[in-house]
Amino acid sequence: MIRTVYAKWLRDSRRSLAGWTAAIVFVGCGYAAFYPTFEDPEIARLLESYPQALMEALNYTNITSPAGYLGATVYGLVVAVLMTVFAIGAGARIVAGEEEAGRLDLTLTHPVSRTSLALQRVGALATALLAVVAVFWLAMLVIAGPARFASVGAGNLAAMHVHLAAFAFLFGSASFAVGAATGRRAWAIGAAAGGAVLAYAASGLLPQVDGLEWTRDWSAFTWLTGSDPLTNGLDAGHLAILLGLSGAFVAAGTVAFCRRDLAV
Amino acid sequence: MDAVILTRGLEKTYGRTQALAGLDLEVRAGEVFGFLGVNGAGKTTTIRILLDLIRPTAGSVRVLGLDPRREGVALRRRLGYLEGEFSVEGRQTGHELLTHLGHLRGGVPSARITDLADRLQLDLTRPIGTLSKGNRQKVGLIQAFMHEPELLVLDEPTAGLDPFLQQEFVAMARAVVEQGRTVFMSSHVMSEVQKSADRVGIIRDGRLSGVDTVDSLRASAIRQVEVVFAARARTADFVGLPGVSDVRADGAVLHCRLEGPADALVKALAAHDVLSLTSEEPDLEDVFFDRYSGERPEVAS
Repeated sequence: MIRTVYAKWLRDSRRSLAGWTAAIVFVGCGYAAFYPTFEDPEIARLLESYPQALMEALNYTNITSPAGYLGATVYGLVVAVLMTVFAIGAGARIVAGEEEAGRLDLTLTHPVSRTSLALQRVGALATALLAVVAVFWLAMLVIAGPARFASVGAGNLAAMHVHLAAFAFLFGSASFAVGAATGRRAWAIGAAAGGAVLAYAASGLLPQVDGLEWTRDWSAFTWLTGSDPLTNGLDAGHLAILLGLSGAFVAAGTVAFCRRDLAV
Repeated sequence: MDAVILTRGLEKTYGRTQALAGLDLEVRAGEVFGFLGVNGAGKTTTIRILLDLIRPTAGSVRVLGLDPRREGVALRRRLGYLEGEFSVEGRQTGHELLTHLGHLRGGVPSARITDLADRLQLDLTRPIGTLSKGNRQKVGLIQAFMHEPELLVLDEPTAGLDPFLQQEFVAMARAVVEQGRTVFMSSHVMSEVQKSADRVGIIRDGRLSGVDTVDSLRASAIRQVEVVFAARARTADFVGLPGVSDVRADGAVLHCRLEGPADALVKALAAHDVLSLTSEEPDLEDVFFDRYSGERPEVAS
């Protein structure tokens, strides 16, 4: 029974959620399964010949260990990007996408406050992100043996996936907030995607420039993999930053949404 | 009677355009009120303020005695609304959507949903996206009526409905007011509201330019009357009769305009050998705009 805005939103998103889960599991596991190649001493020697700055810019400094490889390629890049794109799209749809499609009025002319609608749908987004990383985690456990990264351990993998969900939620919240404040889906996606690109640059590229080393500390990618959750488990500090900023975006977006006129 | 909708000096400005310029509106309990105006006159703006989708620039609004802004959730619990462009996610079935919306209102008996669907001949098992525009509009009507709200706010509810459904809608609206509940509906043509409305208000340039009962408009309606006599028509017998004007004769045919009761004209005709008599159904829109000396909002096609 679909009794709440929260449940209805999850139900209406089920096709998109299934598609994204499949894509993330497929691509993530595909990259992870490639790890044994990097155990080859030939590859290690080849990588040693690369300039140190390039290795740092790509976050490849520890690429030959399972945690280093998975952190740099799967979690630090490919899956992070897929999760971010999914979360930004879903966040923009919560208010702005629905408003542009003329569908927001119906729910809001029922006994549902704007705050309740916004928070229930953001809650549904958080649930969806957790579901994706949970399924992806199970898939990673299945291939951990054959792909020779079982040494990472289920607990540390789970910690990495929690970081991944919190990381994606940050960009989903930002996208929700801009969309809720402006009613414009394109602005929501543009702003959040711009933030993600900037964060990526700040995690590897920008710190190579003298005087910009500090940017690394302010990148969401650092909060995602910088503490190496695959080795060290959850990092309370980084998670607090990711969730705190997300909470601030959700709050600001909801307040702005409650104050403005809705478009026809 | 209590005012179900009461606005005083309502203003809404978008940038430099003034959508509402001091609207004073009063809708009473137990009536169907037709809210008439051309597109852009401010109908939808008014309705969206009643539902707190937008906020007025100035003036006051009370709906069912509540402030839409501060007591919106409590107000919307007692209200049913149909938007002008009813649009929803298309892959869900009518049943799925209506059940969900019922739950948002704390539950609506499913028998009431199926009764309404039967009455409007709507198939609830089909995905809404596959329905015709008229059938989608039925889904919208059902969600507005199904919880038997005290007040129905309907933005152009009959647009796109075929004549059978327009009649069914009139019956549904009349049933609502017979139970002491209230209907506030907008339209841009009088012909769509005159069958169901008790009173009609016209909004022009963001102001209410007049309110009248449909009965009084009917009573003062001007009809074109055409009489065919067995012999040559003589205008002299009819000129000067109460309510009769524009008397012309064309062979055996007499044309005139009749305003108000037909009694004097009929009694005068009784002295002649009349072959046929036709009186056009009056256009209440003409009456209304004659009375308030405005221009007709739109040529009804």
